[in-house]
Amino acid sequence: MIEIIDKAPPEVDQFQRRALMVGVVASAVCVLGAIFNLDQFFRSYLVAYVFWLGITLGCLAILMLQHMSGGAWGLVIRRLLESATRTLPLLALMFLPVAFGVRSVYIWAQPVAADAPEALKQALAHKAPYLNVPFFLARAVFYFAVWNLMAYFLNKWSLEQDRTGHRPLTTRLQALSGPGLVLYGLTVTFASIDWMMSLEPQWFSTMYGVLIMGGQALSAMAFIIAVVVVLSQYKPLSEVIKPRHLHDLGKLMLAFLMLWAYFSFSQFLIIWAGNLPEEIPWYVRRLQTPWKWVGLALVVLQFALPFVLLLSRDLKRNARRLVVVATAVIVMRLVDLIWMTGPEFHEGAFRIHWMDVIMPIGLGGLWLAYFAHQLKARPLLPIGDPFLEEALAPSGH
Amino acid sequence: MQDDTEDPVSDSTITPPSVIGGHQTFASVTDKISAIALAKRTRTGWFIGAGISFLLTMLLLYTIGYLVLTGIGIWGNNIPVGWAFDIINFVWWIGIGHAGTLISAILLLLRQQWRTSINRFAEAMTLFAVASAGLFPLLHTGRPWLAYWLFPYPNTMGVWPQFRSPLIWDVFAVSTYATVSALFWFIGLIPDLATLRDRARRRTAKIIYGILAMGWRGSARHWHRYETAYLLLAGLATPLVVSVHTVVSFDFAVGIIPGWHTTVFPPYFVAGAIYSGFAMVMTLAIPLRKFYGLEDFITMRHLRNMSKIMLATGLIVGYGYMIETFTAWYSASTFEEFMIRNRMTGPYAPLYWLLILCNILIPQILWSKKARGNVLLLFVVSIIVNIGMWLERFIIIVTSLHRDFLPSSWAMYRPTFWDFSMFLGTIGLFLSLLFLFIRFLPMISIFEIRTILPQAEVHEAGD
Repeated sequence: MIEIIDKAPPEVDQFQRRALMVGVVASAVCVLGAIFNLDQFFRSYLVAYVFWLGITLGCLAILMLQHMSGGAWGLVIRRLLESATRTLPLLALMFLPVAFGVRSVYIWAQPVAADAPEALKQALAHKAPYLNVPFFLARAVFYFAVWNLMAYFLNKWSLEQDRTGHRPLTTRLQALSGPGLVLYGLTVTFASIDWMMSLEPQWFSTMYGVLIMGGQALSAMAFIIAVVVVLSQYKPLSEVIKPRHLHDLGKLMLAFLMLWAYFSFSQFLIIWAGNLPEEIPWYVRRLQTPWKWVGLALVVLQFALPFVLLLSRDLKRNARRLVVVATAVIVMRLVDLIWMTGPEFHEGAFRIHWMDVIMPIGLGGLWLAYFAHQLKARPLLPIGDPFLEEALAPSGH
Repeated sequence: MQDDTEDPVSDSTITPPSVIGGHQTFASVTDKISAIALAKRTRTGWFIGAGISFLLTMLLLYTIGYLVLTGIGIWGNNIPVGWAFDIINFVWWIGIGHAGTLISAILLLLRQQWRTSINRFAEAMTLFAVASAGLFPLLHTGRPWLAYWLFPYPNTMGVWPQFRSPLIWDVFAVSTYATVSALFWFIGLIPDLATLRDRARRRTAKIIYGILAMGWRGSARHWHRYETAYLLLAGLATPLVVSVHTVVSFDFAVGIIPGWHTTVFPPYFVAGAIYSGFAMVMTLAIPLRKFYGLEDFITMRHLRNMSKIMLATGLIVGYGYMIETFTAWYSASTFEEFMIRNRMTGPYAPLYWLLILCNILIPQILWSKKARGNVLLLFVVSIIVNIGMWLERFIIIVTSLHRDFLPSSWAMYRPTFWDFSMFLGTIGLFLSLLFLFIRFLPMISIFEIRTILPQAEVHEAGD
């Protein structure tokens, strides 16, 4: 069985070319847009960027999680997760526009307006030791160094195991994954404070990092399900992926969905009930403006509907239906990120710029092309893992 | 004390060696476990332990009697610290219960076989912990005989609970939790009660176990219904692992007291509950397996897995402290900043740093594989975590209240003798119930252990 698991199918090549084309065209259109409205370009870019970075980092976290937990579900998707983490150098490069756009996007990076409210002035003065451009950039360099180092070793040892089949490598991967998850939690928390929460520099929520991590895991799981389903139409994965694998992955997506909803609702309830002047404006801008319809859509389409659908065992075992739910979840993640950031750019007014839609497509095209490129680089299953045979056995779990 | 039953490959495998040590067979499992419950002679050690626990229970009854006659003024809490030991101990006990539910429900659904030897007494622990926890809010009402006013029922007084208050959600969350946990535990016991009924020699024992076994005959139909009911209850209990402590965290977070009102509370409380729960399971399991010679059933693998869960949940708790401290500064709010500074350097600062030591620093030793194999060390760490989690609730509740928004109302909280006697008394109640449980009921699930013995594995033809 193992012999047939070799390289990715030729369809991946075709996908890579198309993704690259779409990515280049859409990005070029947005660069044109930047000439007319540079500020808007940087804002749209930030949202698109954190969306695709979120999927990548979610894959990094799930990769470490499956090393810790073991199980067949992790083995069949390990190579897809690894391919996603190998895009982190590209994402580090893609951070440059965010770095250049700091002064367009973040209020705290701009000179304080003379007529700004006193409370804002005070908050900015207080936070200046943390929210300043050099430290902001230094932190970003640190985050990318940590993420890339972890991805590098996880990929290196996994490839080594392909050749040698050494069992101690499994232990080594586990030994990295435990502290790796701790580092992931800390870096993502502060990255999300830096890149998203500080858009409204007066607002704060201790749940924010946890909420972003939940969203990353959710979008990554949905993305992986979509990739698994597509690849399972072609050899070699068509020989390997069985409904029970999809079932397990579907259950995990359901678990992440519930976690995300739990974090979101808890944050909302606590802030709503407290109704404090320093916290509630964030929700007022999102729930007492036309943005509320977006919020409602999130409740229905990012939680209620997929939740009910994913309860069904049949749906989780049906590739075509599962991929529809996964795609919807991915799209709603983007909507969620727009909802979390958009109201800050227009003082609560509801405005969607065309670049908010085109930029994620452009960045996504480039990212997906690079992902496909990485996917081709290695066998689609970790052929050296001592537990692979067992995981693929007809009755194994 | 390095344990001799250590299994070398247990740390890094997908299909680890058998969960059960030694060379057990169906008969030896049944003999070994049921003998503890059916033995004619009770061991002296049991009498000593149960006797001390019983005395502490008497102290509890005395305290409750005095409390009801005099009023809750005998406790140290008073404005501004209106909540103190009563809620600290409530949260502490409720948190301890969570490990039982997690082990029995979530690990069952996740097909984790190693749960099987520890689920029974972990569930019993949950029940007794919830019973101890429930006493505190009940008695804090001052007139416990009117506690039914908390339930929404049509009455002539026009009294209706305030549904926007998390305290009412607590009533529902905790009573649901107690009900489901009791059902789950009892249903899990039925096949074993039937085993005890069939093996008991004394007539009274036969009759009592017989009544409790509810006519269990072990027919295929019985088993079929049993399995369905058990899985359904596991499904019902799963959300409770998260929901109960989430609601408990809302008791604080929904208010606007600095130190209480923070959005990360729900997941951080749930993690803390599981942390303290596993610590308590370890604290109980380690002496039990030694005293009754159950090292083949509660193996090193169990202790290792539990210490890993403790490490993971302890790190989440640490994340909670970290993000709370960072945000207190980042918020630029005078009150938030003062709250954290007061915790770290104020009058209760020694307790705060002791909490950091117990909950965060010392448990980091569990990263070491060697430490996870040292039973004595695990026992000590688990007790330290229990202390740390109690201190955490003390710090959250008391330091947030004793420095009010108005400096004129600042005051110190000092627990009285009756605060301590009530707390010690519930420990006595908890331990007394536990002693009775291990003496009269099978503390390890006999029939489930039989299913995970290698002999029970059915090999399909051509497999």
